[in-house]
Amino acid sequence: MSVLAQAPVDGGSSWIALARRRSARAVVGFTAVALFLIAWQIAGANEFIRSDLISYPSEVAATLLQMTASGELGSNLAVSLQEFIQGFLPAIAVGIAAGTAFALSTRLHYLFEPLIVALNTSPIIAFVPIVVVWFGVGTQSKAIMVFLAAVIPIVINTMTGITQVHESWIRACRAFGASQAQVIVKAMLPGALPSVMVGVRLAVGRAIVGLIAAEMYVSVRGIGRLIQVYSTSERAAEIFVLVAVVATFGFLLVTLLRRLESLIAPWSLEP
Amino acid sequence: MSEIGMAPAPRPEASAPRREQLVLGIIGTLAFLVIWEAAARFDLINPVVVSNPSRIAAAFVSQLQSGEILGDLAVSLIEFTAGFGLSLVVGIGLGIAMGLNRLTEYAVDPFVWFLYSSPLIAFYPLIIVWLGFGFATVVAITFLLSFVSVVVNTVAGVHGVDPQLVRAVRAFGGTRLDVIRKVILPAAVPLIIAGMRIGLGRALHGVVLGEMFSSNAGLGYRITFYAAHLRTADVFVPLVILVVIGLMINQLGNAVETRLQAWRA
Repeated sequence: MSVLAQAPVDGGSSWIALARRRSARAVVGFTAVALFLIAWQIAGANEFIRSDLISYPSEVAATLLQMTASGELGSNLAVSLQEFIQGFLPAIAVGIAAGTAFALSTRLHYLFEPLIVALNTSPIIAFVPIVVVWFGVGTQSKAIMVFLAAVIPIVINTMTGITQVHESWIRACRAFGASQAQVIVKAMLPGALPSVMVGVRLAVGRAIVGLIAAEMYVSVRGIGRLIQVYSTSERAAEIFVLVAVVATFGFLLVTLLRRLESLIAPWSLEP
Repeated sequence: MSEIGMAPAPRPEASAPRREQLVLGIIGTLAFLVIWEAAARFDLINPVVVSNPSRIAAAFVSQLQSGEILGDLAVSLIEFTAGFGLSLVVGIGLGIAMGLNRLTEYAVDPFVWFLYSSPLIAFYPLIIVWLGFGFATVVAITFLLSFVSVVVNTVAGVHGVDPQLVRAVRAFGGTRLDVIRKVILPAAVPLIIAGMRIGLGRALHGVVLGEMFSSNAGLGYRITFYAAHLRTADVFVPLVILVVIGLMINQLGNAVETRLQAWRA
């Protein structure tokens, strides 16, 4: 079944073929993951490879249950979550406000452009040590890192979204006597929303990296702190649990944002 | 694919706004530096903890004179090249294999998306345990962070190849290798380059991350070293160099993409 041999011009991209292809994808993907997990389990549990280096699925699952039961996971997750929210909500507010301002005034955009581009292209985790020196080892420096990592994609996508809003919408609002504020609220922001939401979803991933890096660098509590603790004691199972927890958090948040988007702005639904 | 790239910032067309853009950009940057310097001079902020532009400039000069920072820059660049080079070879190779063969694609896809969406940063302790402290770990983290975007974009590029061209080459007796060399690679190049752009940024992240947490050389290590000694002005020297490298990568990407668009048109 290769692209080289097959001729996809047969009009056969009918929905039956599509459904068959989808199920083939699911079956093959599921099988591959299952085989991988089985191989991992056998190699780890029988110590073909030292299990403290790679652990194995059943140990990871048991560790997850045990860390949840002891409350270790919950209490640290709560700290990380709080830091995330403290940084992310202001990033959304500031990002949309700044993006709107930059879209309305090109001059203002030009003034701040070097700063935005520099923050956008540089590896954001390099700022972790300086942010910790400036804002301390507590939760504040983590919230700042989340903010810094998240705000840039939101600014850029808001700006792009607004400049791409149909000129006719804006003229229609003006023709019916809308004020500048009304134009922003009724035409520009709704029109920019799909782009803004892409920015917010991009920001989620970056913010998580910023948060975990900052917590790993120095902190008292939080998921990143746990990762650091278990890495020094070479506990692979705990680290896999923590990685899974962080990945799940990111996945859930992005899914939630998509739901929210379809709820508040059904016109923005992507195919 | 909307999740992969950030929307491009709006770009001015004419040259008169270009000049305005440049002038205002310089004014904005200078204003930022002047306000920062003034705040430190008038003790609105603590210059020892926060630092200020004049101290940072002095630190720059002294670190350049001692040559220390150049050694770290070299280490970082070597690790960057090794990690990103590896991700290009593996990424394009795997991407073509996945693009040409459905079974491979379906089987590898879940792993690629896991790597793409999971916080790889959290894996670094395991990589240290596996590969030890230093060069190999930094290269591995750089590779892991950057190769997924190359793979994903290569697959998309191969899928976008016009099947008519493939059949034409086959009809005239071309081998599989001919098809890959003459049709698939050239057609997939624009998307591969788009993947490389994202990959380059992520590779820089990987180098810094690896050096910050598991190395004793390089720009990332130097940042943590000075921060641990509370030498704030010195922290900014490797930090500014990294920002400049990030900007250069971005400019290079812009230039290549402009060229490419001219070539395709």
